[in-house]
Amino acid sequence: MDDNKRDHILKNIDTPAIDENAKKRALNLAMAEFDSVQKEKAVEKEKKFQGFQILSRLMGNSNTETNKRKRNAMEQRSHKKFIYGGMATAAAVIIVAGVGLNLAPNFGAGSQLTQHASIDTLSTGSAAPLNKGRIETLSQTRTESALVEQESFAPQPSSSPAPKEKADQLGGRKHAPQKKQAEMQRQYGMIEGKAVPMRSKDEATAARTMIAPTAPSSTNFTGHAHEADSMIALAPADIMPNHYQDVGRDKFSDFTENPFKAVADEPVSTFSADVDTASYSFVRRQLNNGVLPQKDAVRIEELINYFDYDYATPTDKSEPFKPSVTLTESPWNTGKQLMHIGIKGYEFTGEQPNSNIVFLLDVSGSMNSPDKLPLVKNSMKMLLSSLKPDDTVSIAVYAGAAGTVLEPTKVSDKAKIIAAFDRLSAGGSTAGAAGINLAYQLAEQNFDENAVNRVILATDGDFNVGINNREELKDFVERKREKGVFLSVLGFGQGNYNDDMMQALAQNGNGVAAYIDTLSEARKVLVEEATSSLFPIAKDVKFQIEFNPERVSEYRLVGYETRALNREDFNNDAVDAGDIGAGHSVTAIYEITPAGSPTMVDPLRYGKKGEAADQGSTDVSDDIAFLKIRYKLPKENVSRLITQAITQEKNGPHCPTVSLCDYGINPDTQFATAVASFAQILKGGKYTGNMGYDAVITLANAAKGDDPFGYRAEFIQMVRLAKTASDMQP
Amino acid sequence: MDKQNAANMIKAAQAGDAHAFERLINTYYDVIFKFACKWCGNASDAEDITQDACIKLARFICKYDGKAAFTSWLYRLVINCGKDWYRSQNRHPSNPDALEYVQADSTSEQQIYAKQVINALYQLPEGEKDAVLLVLCQGLSHKEAAYALGCKENTISWRVHEARKKLSAQFKKEQDYG
Repeated sequence: MDDNKRDHILKNIDTPAIDENAKKRALNLAMAEFDSVQKEKAVEKEKKFQGFQILSRLMGNSNTETNKRKRNAMEQRSHKKFIYGGMATAAAVIIVAGVGLNLAPNFGAGSQLTQHASIDTLSTGSAAPLNKGRIETLSQTRTESALVEQESFAPQPSSSPAPKEKADQLGGRKHAPQKKQAEMQRQYGMIEGKAVPMRSKDEATAARTMIAPTAPSSTNFTGHAHEADSMIALAPADIMPNHYQDVGRDKFSDFTENPFKAVADEPVSTFSADVDTASYSFVRRQLNNGVLPQKDAVRIEELINYFDYDYATPTDKSEPFKPSVTLTESPWNTGKQLMHIGIKGYEFTGEQPNSNIVFLLDVSGSMNSPDKLPLVKNSMKMLLSSLKPDDTVSIAVYAGAAGTVLEPTKVSDKAKIIAAFDRLSAGGSTAGAAGINLAYQLAEQNFDENAVNRVILATDGDFNVGINNREELKDFVERKREKGVFLSVLGFGQGNYNDDMMQALAQNGNGVAAYIDTLSEARKVLVEEATSSLFPIAKDVKFQIEFNPERVSEYRLVGYETRALNREDFNNDAVDAGDIGAGHSVTAIYEITPAGSPTMVDPLRYGKKGEAADQGSTDVSDDIAFLKIRYKLPKENVSRLITQAITQEKNGPHCPTVSLCDYGINPDTQFATAVASFAQILKGGKYTGNMGYDAVITLANAAKGDDPFGYRAEFIQMVRLAKTASDMQP
Repeated sequence: MDKQNAANMIKAAQAGDAHAFERLINTYYDVIFKFACKWCGNASDAEDITQDACIKLARFICKYDGKAAFTSWLYRLVINCGKDWYRSQNRHPSNPDALEYVQADSTSEQQIYAKQVINALYQLPEGEKDAVLLVLCQGLSHKEAAYALGCKENTISWRVHEARKKLSAQFKKEQDYG
């Protein structure tokens, strides 16, 4: 009787509800694995090539256990097809040597970092055929070193007799099952080779990159490259196997560059300010790794605004900035001009306002790499130094669960805060709990109307805490912003960096999105520019420029594609736009075609020429354009307007307001032009004419100026890296 | 989803159809997760195990030969993944705190008794626990359970019998005391 009762109980055990996030993650991972399995199969079908084993053995996997098993499996095979194996090894070694030499100068620097050739066609489009060509030449020129390596590797298949004998003995009796076992081992080996010991869920991030045919570490990167290359080298010439392509899982929103627009069609251009710098750091990181960034990762305005320009600053809080406009010849197209519009935010001179800051840190297992959590901790400690003793700091973390690590604490109690940071360690899974909710609760708990209330989120990837729908999260952040709590986002790590989400959050949270790749970047963002990053002086800053069709026939806004606004949004205070912190500078560059110069856009044959002429009065005929800036003071909800006519005397080139400058007169303008050129070249150089990396270097070098922190010098270095990286491309 | 549909889906996935595989995961994720949950008794561990199982499924779906029910085959995969996972974590399943006995109008006394039964189930030796899980909780036949655990049908029968004996003894004892 009891048995029945117990059976009934056992039959009706209920399990917890399914977490949709977890399900989605598992689905993604499984799909990625499925893809790679299918690819492997396709490759295996094309030729029974056993090189994977030989190559992976040469790769020097640190997991000796796996290695041993692999070797055993390999030896069993080599027993059968010993000669083929030897040949394949020799061929592979030559290729390995070739590619190794080839890759060394480019990947050596960033070898500890994940390498992602971007999916960009520019950067990887058809890397394989090129590599093939290079392998051939290299294997000829480097036969000597290849032979040296071959000597050290070649004996292995034949010279470990003990296991082989064993295999012989066993082979007689249990040949078939053993083969099967070897097959299984191989498959497990493949899995293990990629999915190293990370198991926790939120390492969806990490694990995903591993399982997908991407390369988690440089060793594997080259390893995979070898696989791909050897396939090509050994495949019959007429069959081109689907070559290996590295897929970065960094997510960027997709956009295309602004085109030229005819002033006659669309005289007004409207956009929102953007002071983020995330794009610059991400591009720098990619270039330091020796790969060109994917095009969508390059947001031209963020590259330009990374640098500090010496525009005139107002001293009055009520009008927090004033525009300065410069006109130069366009280096990209003859007959065109560049119009630089720069504003610089007013800088705090007196006491900085109080702040109430909540750090929301991602401490899931995937953050456990030197460029993630340790960097986060150090960055946050740095930020402490820019705060006042009276400011409050709290720390919330999310991983397996969201939790408060530090209740609101005064900065004067630094030891306690630092101890709290030091206690943090990355680990465990991400249950995706209510991290952001908790952070906002902490901020609200200690809300100070006169202070800057801000949540600073530091994470490496998917922001899958609590609400994981992007739109829902945006709305959530937006509602909190209206209550006075702002959100800034600091991105870390790479491989699964979700830039798209970061931007959306920071924009809706009235904060900046920065990407921290090194400690010096952390220093720049959190110490040198702490006031800009922390204290907004104006919000919803919008620009609107109306061009005078008499003076300008067409224009093109460089960058700001993701920040474009509708013409009617300009006067609508409900429409959100970018925010400017104390001392931030914003530069917008227009490439304009003066009336009379050859245009990109053909003029309308049936246009209304007469009408425009009628409207032109003597007063405005000198105007090139009319600039309007709308902004709100941080605590206000009604926008204010700044207007300025951009005038140039028709006949005299040197008018007091705006003149056509030579380069060299204003190094800042010149440097901004160099950065803009570089960014556009990275994006494909659709509008930069014949300008190349060398011209950018020359332009930037001449305009380095003071450069006390070496940022500009670093930029030039970056251009050089890009040049090398692009030389590697076909 | 009816049987024919499911079979077609599995066949398509085996042939390399990514959409079919996606549907398959969507369909069977719940099955896998529920079973993983029962097997380890902990929701967050079960999520990890399920994730691993889904990944393994991607690689080994082609090995399913249709000799047993697909769910039985899945259970086998889940148990293997679970064992691997706990080995990799260097620990054992903890208390089955995620599991509950649901029965409308059950008294709290019954609830407590149910909790005790579930706990007792987890105290059983692993083989017996797995057998009981498959046979009594999942309602598999002894033959299917044998397939899922990779042992003989007789072994399953014996293990279930042993488990019943142990449970009876335990609760008999408690009744005597109490």
